[in-house]
Amino acid sequence: MDTSLPEDVIAMIGVEKVRQYDVTRRDIKRFAQAIGEANPIHFDEDHAKSTRYGTIVAPPLFCQIFTFEDVPPNRLPKDGSPIEIDVPLSAQRTVGGGSSYEIFQRVRAGDRITAKSTLKDVVSKEGRSGRLYFIVVETEFSSHTNQLVAKETATYIKRV
Amino acid sequence: MGQDQPRWENMSVTTEIPELVVCPDHTQVFMFSAITWNRHHIHYSKEAAISEGLPDIVVQRALIGNFLARLITNWVGDSAELRRLAWKVTRSALPGNDIVCRGRIKETIDSEDEKCLVCEVTASTRNDELIASGEAVVVFNENGTPR
Repeated sequence: MDTSLPEDVIAMIGVEKVRQYDVTRRDIKRFAQAIGEANPIHFDEDHAKSTRYGTIVAPPLFCQIFTFEDVPPNRLPKDGSPIEIDVPLSAQRTVGGGSSYEIFQRVRAGDRITAKSTLKDVVSKEGRSGRLYFIVVETEFSSHTNQLVAKETATYIKRV
Repeated sequence: MGQDQPRWENMSVTTEIPELVVCPDHTQVFMFSAITWNRHHIHYSKEAAISEGLPDIVVQRALIGNFLARLITNWVGDSAELRRLAWKVTRSALPGNDIVCRGRIKETIDSEDEKCLVCEVTASTRNDELIASGEAVVVFNENGTPR
């Protein structure tokens, strides 16, 4: 842990947030459209029946639709950036970042997904144009049968 | 899509993945923000993006990840399994510009339980400026066809 961080930031590390969502065929179809994927396995039940899945399945990174908590706009930071990375730092511009996303099962319509997100760490580094903060958020997505469906570790970078 | 699905016996280090070129426009960026409930203003307000030193709204990091995922799923077909995708964005991608996704196998793993490919993946501009790079793990089943 970066002990140079303000105490109120350190206090946020490790805090878990849990939310639950029901997956519909419309969600899967819309997600596929949003990523530009035209494979009928994401929206055509007749086609999907002929595949090894036997039904419509979501694209691999579908659980991204549950990454951000659906809070009303007035609870978001002024720039509308996700509340998940709303930590009290002087650096507030979000840049770049990375993600590591594991897929254990394809999501299907009718799944009830529990998303559990945790602020894992905040690390500060001196960059070329000032101090940078790396905010690491881990989110686990589990099905109603308590199986891990996907897991994402995302790193957001904030700068002044 | 997946017409020539790769088979395990044909996989070797340096095998190139067929390129995927996408050109996200403002509408697609908006749709992706909507479906992921991402309200960050750099994805919908050009004025706000400019105030943050960007030339225009930017393509979401998560959407770039989906382009890299599509690079893999288009290659291995519907019956393949992308097990892991890690990517890091190093340059902003702007709507209306091509993103060229490429990849190649960098490791084949043949264990008792499963056969895996570890692939390098990149997303670049038409001028070969790197937007994102990362790694994908694809899992095959025991008889060599994608799971």
